[in-house]
Amino acid sequence: MQAARFLAQATLGADKAQIASVQAGGYADWLDDQFAVPRSQGHFDWLVANGYGIEANRNNATGMDNTIWRKFIASPDALRQRMVLALSEICVVSVLGIDAQWRQFSVANYLDILEANAFGNYRALLGQLSTSPAMGYYLTFRGNAKANPVTGSLPDENYAREIMQLFTLGLTVLNSDGTPRLTAGATTDTYDQADVSGLARVFTGFVLVTGNTSQFPPESQRDAMVQVAARYETGSKTFLGTTIPANTEAFESLRIALDTLFNHPNLPPFVSRQLIQRLVTSNPSPAYVERVSAVFGNNGAGVRGDLREVLRAVLLDPEARSDANLSNPNFGKLREPVVRFLNWARAFGATSPSNVWGIGDVSDPATRLGQSPARASSVFNFFRPGYVPPNSPIATQGLTGPEFQITTESSVAGYVNYMQRAISGQGIGDVRANYTALQALAGDSAALLAEVNLVLAAGQVTAATLTTLKTALDTIAVATPAGQLNRVYAAITLVMAAPEYIAQK
Amino acid sequence: MKPYSDIAPDNASRRAFLQRTGALSLAAAATPWAMSLAAMGEAAAQTATDYKALVCVFLFGGNDYANTLVPYDQANYNAYNSLRSNIATARASLAATLLNPNIPLAGGRQYAMAPELAPLLPMFDAGKMTALLNVGTLIQPATKLQYTNRSVPLPPKLFSHNDQQSFWQSSSAEGARSGWGGRMGDLFAAGNGNASFTCISVSGNTVYLSGNSAVQYQVTTNGSVPVAGIKNPLFGSTACSTALQNLMTAPRAHLFESEYARVSKRSIDATDQITAGLAGVPALTTTFPAGNSLASQLNMVVRLIAARNTLGAKRQVFFVSLGGFDTHDRLLVEHPALMTRVGSALAAFYNATVELGVANQVTAFTASDFGRTLVSNTDGSDHGWGSMHFALGGSVLGKSFVGNAPEVANNGANDVGQGRLLPELSVDQFGGTLANWFGVSAADQALVLPNLQNYSTRNLGFMAPG
Repeated sequence: MQAARFLAQATLGADKAQIASVQAGGYADWLDDQFAVPRSQGHFDWLVANGYGIEANRNNATGMDNTIWRKFIASPDALRQRMVLALSEICVVSVLGIDAQWRQFSVANYLDILEANAFGNYRALLGQLSTSPAMGYYLTFRGNAKANPVTGSLPDENYAREIMQLFTLGLTVLNSDGTPRLTAGATTDTYDQADVSGLARVFTGFVLVTGNTSQFPPESQRDAMVQVAARYETGSKTFLGTTIPANTEAFESLRIALDTLFNHPNLPPFVSRQLIQRLVTSNPSPAYVERVSAVFGNNGAGVRGDLREVLRAVLLDPEARSDANLSNPNFGKLREPVVRFLNWARAFGATSPSNVWGIGDVSDPATRLGQSPARASSVFNFFRPGYVPPNSPIATQGLTGPEFQITTESSVAGYVNYMQRAISGQGIGDVRANYTALQALAGDSAALLAEVNLVLAAGQVTAATLTTLKTALDTIAVATPAGQLNRVYAAITLVMAAPEYIAQK
Repeated sequence: MKPYSDIAPDNASRRAFLQRTGALSLAAAATPWAMSLAAMGEAAAQTATDYKALVCVFLFGGNDYANTLVPYDQANYNAYNSLRSNIATARASLAATLLNPNIPLAGGRQYAMAPELAPLLPMFDAGKMTALLNVGTLIQPATKLQYTNRSVPLPPKLFSHNDQQSFWQSSSAEGARSGWGGRMGDLFAAGNGNASFTCISVSGNTVYLSGNSAVQYQVTTNGSVPVAGIKNPLFGSTACSTALQNLMTAPRAHLFESEYARVSKRSIDATDQITAGLAGVPALTTTFPAGNSLASQLNMVVRLIAARNTLGAKRQVFFVSLGGFDTHDRLLVEHPALMTRVGSALAAFYNATVELGVANQVTAFTASDFGRTLVSNTDGSDHGWGSMHFALGGSVLGKSFVGNAPEVANNGANDVGQGRLLPELSVDQFGGTLANWFGVSAADQALVLPNLQNYSTRNLGFMAPG
């Protein structure tokens, strides 16, 4: 069960064999193995190879959901995929905000960047995403023009503001343990409007590659953005106490700007705390943040931003592994709806025989999951790291519950309904789980529940609940294969509806 | 800057509320369930006999004020056009939506609505809609000098989307625990047959609708969502359906399990009543525009209002929203499309309340993260502060402007640079006026809008006496 719990934090879902393998080899070995697993075919390449780059798809997102589900469900690099989802919820790009041609390709390339850097360095990640067509479109600095004395126009401030607020620093000066630094009881802002306006001058002049000689039109969505001198602000740029001198070349300005953000003392606690929240617990102790943040600042070999070592620190920390926290009523996090769905798909080896992975957009909270990868409603993600469910015991205790931001009276019902259908193979294209092993247990409801509880809920559904569920499951006759499957479907649906599963400890 | 925690309106109001209702000791010890039930029961401060509804129309992303309400008199149009020549609306296209208020603005100032808001012109002309000039988040009145010197408390985290959304709704930055819609709900929930239907969102979760006892209830544009496996036997088993219902709703010790189960219980408990209520609502002849998510949400609000007697509702606060207002680029393409949706949705909504005979009992108002810059960034505008907003309904004293026309300038008297307006009117004054109409007594205003006491004018006078 501890192995299953570890995998619930470290992956998007695991089957029984993977749990057994962690149990046998230990966490550290499993991590080393995962760091060594090569990447499977990239999103961009897969779209090309599978014929999505056709004229009919020029102005829609066709193919994006398919390749995302493919990887999140079936790619063997389980840890990397977990990290990609986490990073995609910190450095957010959403196809809903990319009103451009070949948007499925720009998002695919963006996810490929997240994947390539998932075990790499955060500075390299910042560099690549800051010149990616997807980010250029999404935060509107593609084509951003320098100040124009004739019209009075100033550079677009969007990316300058959000890269500081969301991707690197946050709004408030932090201690290294992630708590706000107080001066005479007051917090201090990390930056002000002048810093935003100053940094915005860096993000000018970037445009997509044009005149690409490739036969293949979407290729422009893969190449890093390039510079147009006429749009680039050559004047000096002052922000966060740094001044980039006038006439500094554009990419050199970008390097200085990103180095300034990367070396800001807020960055390690700001990003570390969010990674802990994505993987382990919504309310990590300051000491836990401090430990991870220290690794972020220095991996032991003098390197800042080494995400591989940061991941190791997040997952192997005593607070993540503590037995005591299993019974701590404030520990853990709500599993987000997409992760619950993926837990199911990975636990029972879902496949798509056609290789289409036609699950589609699952954003509708009334009928689907209320959340769909790469489809957040804004750069503020599906939910905020600081979200407090108002008028709740969580608020009373001064704690946060990010995933509660998308938990509503509609979504809790829509989720159970969607899972009930998906578990029985409805509404998800030709994606089907493999229930052979479970069907063999169908005659013994207790054994069936024990198995489902282990692989999905890391054994966190209580014995009392299991007893109640067993009694109910026993009413489903298993004389026929159809009956056996109904009992399997019901067992999975019930465990996945259990709050003990939905709150991951 | 003075830390906003010094002000702590949220905690102050919570404390005051709990003291009033005698629930302070309960709150410390009781389980969450008991606490909210007890507080609801004891919050019967104000019992209404008639019906009233307030509808917050939130424009997520920060609406561009300058292209929503455009300076029209030639001198100020010229100033507007010179500051955003590449994103200005042509003056000729504004003639049809020029607003002619009963009392003209000082200095010959004139405004026209965005051309796409034309469906709202009949409501303005009929005196059912007013426009508030330069309203935004504040803690207390602030002059430009005070802003520059940071010599008065200012809202924290200005120009940040999530925080200003939160401050608009709650008087606190992100992490707020209650909003002023919900705090009004606290006062009236006990007068409603089912307290759950006091604060209803047809959008997502919003702090605006959460009170200290009042809890937001969320529906979709099709109403509530029943759990199929409870409504019908789960894979053929009624025993499994019963188990599913118990599993989803039973109280829990773990903090997150408990909160999740609380939401599930509200969902399951309310769905039959909502469904039955909506089933009894006759079809309206008013048509709502298709393909317009704001219109779909407002249509659901109208249907819930039509079902008010079945649902036992006397006072309701609704929340609907439209996203996409963060127009950093392509403003000339995107903003008109957004205005089209807002104009047609609000007009249909008002007409539907007339059809239902409740126009005087329903007031809708717009809100947004912040206004934007007047100065262009070539093809869009950036985050600002004060903005222009509307209130619409039969009890609105319309064909009017509220407040003074701000100077059209870059770093002029009324803006803090790039045409980011320093609000003249506060959200508290806006909300206080609506709360007064809703029936919140002067004595209770501080519970709803704690910063309102910092203003000498607490009612902006745009609502007919309740």
